[in-house]
Amino acid sequence: MSLLEIEDLKVTFTTADGDVNAVNGVSFHIDKGETLAIVGESGSGKSQTAFATMGLLARNGRATGKARFDGQDLLQMSQREFNAIRSKDIAMIFQDPMTSLNPYLKVSDQMAEVLMLHKGIGKSQAVSESAQMLDAVRIPDARARITMYPHEFSGGMRQRIMIAMSLLCQPRLLIADEPTTALDVTVQAQIMQLLGDIRQDFGTAVILITHDLGVVAGFCDRTLVMYGGQVMEEGSTDDIFATPAHPYTSGLLRAVPRLDREMGELMTIAGEPPDMSNLPTGCPFSPRCAVSLDHCRNQRPAMETTGNRRRACHLPASEVV
Amino acid sequence: MLSFVFRRLAVAVPTLLILVVLSFVLMYAAPGGPFNSERPLPPEVLANIEAKYGLDQPFWKQIVNYVSGVVTGFDFGPSFQYKDRSVNDVIAQGFPVTLTYGFWSFVVAVTVGVSLGVAAAIKQNSWVDYFAVGVSIGAQVLPNFVMAPLLLLVFTLWLGWLPGGGWNGGQWQFLIMPVIALSTSYMASIARITRSSMLEVLNTNFIRTARAKGLPMRRVIWKHAMKPTMLPVLSYLGPAFVGMITGSVIIDVFFSTGGIGQFFVNSAFNRDYSVIMGITILVGTLTILFNLLVDVLYAWIDPKIRY
Repeated sequence: MSLLEIEDLKVTFTTADGDVNAVNGVSFHIDKGETLAIVGESGSGKSQTAFATMGLLARNGRATGKARFDGQDLLQMSQREFNAIRSKDIAMIFQDPMTSLNPYLKVSDQMAEVLMLHKGIGKSQAVSESAQMLDAVRIPDARARITMYPHEFSGGMRQRIMIAMSLLCQPRLLIADEPTTALDVTVQAQIMQLLGDIRQDFGTAVILITHDLGVVAGFCDRTLVMYGGQVMEEGSTDDIFATPAHPYTSGLLRAVPRLDREMGELMTIAGEPPDMSNLPTGCPFSPRCAVSLDHCRNQRPAMETTGNRRRACHLPASEVV
Repeated sequence: MLSFVFRRLAVAVPTLLILVVLSFVLMYAAPGGPFNSERPLPPEVLANIEAKYGLDQPFWKQIVNYVSGVVTGFDFGPSFQYKDRSVNDVIAQGFPVTLTYGFWSFVVAVTVGVSLGVAAAIKQNSWVDYFAVGVSIGAQVLPNFVMAPLLLLVFTLWLGWLPGGGWNGGQWQFLIMPVIALSTSYMASIARITRSSMLEVLNTNFIRTARAKGLPMRRVIWKHAMKPTMLPVLSYLGPAFVGMITGSVIIDVFFSTGGIGQFFVNSAFNRDYSVIMGITILVGTLTILFNLLVDVLYAWIDPKIRY
C-alpha cells in the first residue's frame, strides 16, 4: 500500500469573481521512503495540492476527491483527527522561511510545543530534544541559540529551523513546498543537501514541490509534471529528463539554463499560464503548445499509462521532441 | 530599557512646560475673565480682586509664578470660582470619581471589545461576525449623550432598578450606568481594531505553520495570534485609557457623578484659570505616562523592538 494516495483531487476557491479551480482532478501516490517531485510553473496548482493534503487551504477553498494516508482519507477527517496526524506523521515546510516562524515567540517555544503536543512530554525535555534536532540540521551552538527569537537568525538558518521543527516527531512524509525558492544559491545547495541527508537518516518520504528542475535532477526518484491544475506527465526522474513525453515537459527542460553546454539564447515557453477560473475545455496547455493538434483545444487528453510512466497528451510520445 | 524610560521621562518635563505655556496663552487670548459677570463689578473692586489673585501682573510673570508654585510646592493655586477651595481640592474631590468609573469602563470596554473582535475574526462571515460588527457599529453611532438618557429612561424611570444619579462613594448601583454609557463607544472601536488586526494575523504564514503543527485552533489563537493582534489595539488603549479615567462631562451631567469632566468644562466657561490649568496638566501628565507604558508593553510583546 502506498503511504499517500491522492485520487482525483480537486481544489476550488470561491471568490467574488466566481470559482477558481486551482486543482482539477490530480491523482498520484508516494511510497514509504520515496522522493517525489511535483514540478510546474507558478499557478499550476502544485502548492494547493499540498495545502489540500495538509488541510491548510485558505478559508474560501474546499477540496474534493480522496487523499488516503495509510489508508485513511485525510479529506474526510475531523479537525481533531487531522490535528493528531499533522506534524506527527505528515509535516510540511514552506516557501518563505522569513515569515513562516512566529516572530513573537522564542524558537524553543515554537519547537517544544510540537513535541509536547504529539508526544506528551514535559517542556524541559521537549526543549532539549529540540536542541538536539537543531544540532542535527547543523545549527551551530544549538543549545544556546534555541532560546533566541526567529529574527536573530538568517534566512537559511530559519529554513533549517523549519526543517528541524518538521522532523521532531520523525514524520513518515515531509512535504517541502519550494523550500529553497526564497534563499540564495549557495544556501539553496546546503538546504537540499540537508534534505537529502534527512531522507537517508530518517527514511522519510519527501514530496518536493518546486519549479526548479535543477533541484529535482539530483534529488527525486520520481517526477510529476503539473500544468493548469492537472497532471501532464509522470515518470522516473531519469526518464522524464532523458525522454520527455509531453510538450510542456520538454518546454520546461529547454528553459533550464545549463552551464555545461553552449546553448545560445535561453528558450522560453511563449504565452501566459492559464486563467484558472476559465480553463480551456481541451488540454490546458494547448493554447501555448507549439505542436498542438486540432482537437487538443476541445478534447481533454486521457491519461495513458505505459509501464511506470503516464502522460496526458494527444500527440504520440514518439513525436514529442 | 530602563534608560529608555528615564530618557522619556526627561523629555516629558519640557513637553509639560510647553503644554502649560500654550494653555496659558490660549486661555488669556479668550475674551473675558474669571470675574466678568452680567452685572459688572465696580472698577475698584475688580482691581482689588485681580490684585489678590495676581491677575494685575504682566503675563510672563504670571506664568513664572504659576510654574514655580507648581514645581516647588505642588501648589496649583486657588480656584477662582469656588472661593474656599484650591485646585488641589477640586481635583481631589473629582478625580477619584472619574478614576473609578473610568477604570471600570476601561475594563468593560477591553474585555467586551477584544472578545467581540476575536470572535468576529475567527468566525468571519458567519452570524457571529455579523452580530459583532452590528453591535460595534451600533455602539459607535449611538453617542453617549443619547445613550445616557436612554439608560436613565429604561433602568430608572421604567424599570426602577437603578438610581437615577449621584455617586454615593462609588457604590455599584451608581456605577453601572455611567460605566455602560462611557464604555460603549470605546468598546466598539476596540472591537473593530481587534477584528481587523486578528484577520490580518490569521492570514500570515506563521499561523499556517502553527496549524500545520496540529495545534488545536484555540491554542493557535491564544499562543500564536493573540500577541501580534494586540499590538495595534494597544496603541489605541493608551490614549483611550486616559480619556476614560479623566471622565466625560456628559456622564457627570446626566448621572450627577461629580467627576472632573464636569469641573473641566465649567472651569472653561467660567474662565476659572487655575482649574483649567490644573486639569490640563493632569490630563497631559497621564497621557505622557500611559503612552510611555504602551511603548514599554510594545517592547515586551514584540522582541524585535529594543530601546
